[in-house]
Amino acid sequence: MNVFITGASGGLGRAIAAECASRGYRLFLTDINDDGLACLRQGLERQYGACVLTHVCDITKNESVEEMLAVIDGSGIRFDMLFNIAGIDYEGGFMERERENVVKIVSLNVGATLRVTHAILSRRWEHKPFSLVFVSSLASLYPMPLKATYAASKRFLTDFAEALRQELKSQNVRVLTLCPGGLPTTEEAINGIAAQGFWGSVTTNRLEQVAFETVEKVQKGQGLYIPGAVNRTLSVLGKLVPRSVIAALIYKRWSGAQKKWLCPEEN
Amino acid sequence: MKTVIITGATSGIGLAAAREFAGKGYRVVGVGHSEKNCEKAKNNILSAYPEAEIVFFSGELMQQREVLRVAEELVKYINENCGGELFALVNNVGGVRSLYTTTEEGYEQQFALNHLAAFLLTSKLLPFIERAHGRIIMTGSNSHKGIKVHWDDPMLKKGYNPLTAYKQAKLCNILFAKGLCDRGLCAYTVDPGLVNTDIGNKQTGSLVNLIWTLRKKHGVPPEIPAETYVFLCEQETEPDGLYYYLCRKRKFSGEVTSENADRLFELSEKLCGIEYAGREAAV
Repeated sequence: MNVFITGASGGLGRAIAAECASRGYRLFLTDINDDGLACLRQGLERQYGACVLTHVCDITKNESVEEMLAVIDGSGIRFDMLFNIAGIDYEGGFMERERENVVKIVSLNVGATLRVTHAILSRRWEHKPFSLVFVSSLASLYPMPLKATYAASKRFLTDFAEALRQELKSQNVRVLTLCPGGLPTTEEAINGIAAQGFWGSVTTNRLEQVAFETVEKVQKGQGLYIPGAVNRTLSVLGKLVPRSVIAALIYKRWSGAQKKWLCPEEN
Repeated sequence: MKTVIITGATSGIGLAAAREFAGKGYRVVGVGHSEKNCEKAKNNILSAYPEAEIVFFSGELMQQREVLRVAEELVKYINENCGGELFALVNNVGGVRSLYTTTEEGYEQQFALNHLAAFLLTSKLLPFIERAHGRIIMTGSNSHKGIKVHWDDPMLKKGYNPLTAYKQAKLCNILFAKGLCDRGLCAYTVDPGLVNTDIGNKQTGSLVNLIWTLRKKHGVPPEIPAETYVFLCEQETEPDGLYYYLCRKRKFSGEVTSENADRLFELSEKLCGIEYAGREAAV
């Protein structure tokens, strides 16, 4: 089983890579973080005796992806799975962010994801099933003030994945959209979850379990995976309540949490 | 002047032990997480012992490349200032993570910080300890009892629980000491007892944080366990026990066997990419 993972040296990427390595899958890992990739490769080889290839790649740049594809084609590698994990968000409201940072959210979360998906789907085995995972977010289910660009970029992925799933069904491609709530991936993320208080902790999922379930569910052909009962309930409620009301509610909650997070000294 | 290296020396038990060693005239080399905390800890010790020889190095020891970087700096320092001799290494650094989180290598953070960091650092400093006929001391805990090492899943990926991870890491600490003894070295584990430190309040979630805030109030000040570290180094002839509490030997878990220690060495050597001299070589 040959697996391609973007954003592999981040928290969720590492967890998925470890899950795949523990199953004996062969890994092709990419990230922009050179040192992180090297460390992870070494760790996976030592811990699982895994077969790991790494390639530093900025997937927002076509040249960088072309260069990587040349390496892949040079050794004739074909893939069975793709995990689109690379993604980004910045803190603060739309006008508080740098202009280029706002654009970057869309060019990475959407543009680069499409580029890699197209490239790797073209390099799948001809007569074998292919598993494709998009890491979207619980945020994709609602319009989210203060995370407006991020939530909308994830909304794109959720809708796109659902459509692509139908389009490629007959070609033996299974598509799963993962919509997690908070994931305890970094010290910063853990502090952010803590700042959200009660709602932060009940919407947070166990990283190692989400990784396990994701790898399981995509191979079973499931289309959508929202980890956690609270998150699933929220997603159903989200469909019943008008979107303008949800946006107002979320703004109220997030503005409080962000103040607490960004200025911890004042509390 | 004897030199002692203490990891996690900027707060809690590590800082108290560093102060105690400085008071007894040891040259103290501390390792801490951040430069700011190192500076604070250094000033804290100097305010008690203005004449003390003390130096700090900073690094994030749960990451192996940081352990290797710090080890290199320590080796240079020992060669230039201590005549290549290290009398004691106190592997004290430790922490609790309420959720499963990994290091850059994809290793679970408690296992990496509480055990692998000590295993890797000790291997790099071993020649200098041997030259000084020195001693290696781990900060263990009585919570190492009532658990076995999960050999099939040491990072607890299939069912993480902060307390299980902590207990297992503390069992690894004493197994590591046991394995070092089997290899002809002088190694000990100190059970500090329940101590009033912030270990459960750093980088943990709200629940662990809350429980620890309530529990630590019943703990003794860190100066009490600190005495045991100094006691183990001050004895002319090497103490013959493995596990000490309040300067006395204490009974340890039946899981602490040479067989399990060898197994832990094999696993940790693989995860750190190093090799200790075998048991046979020491006998």
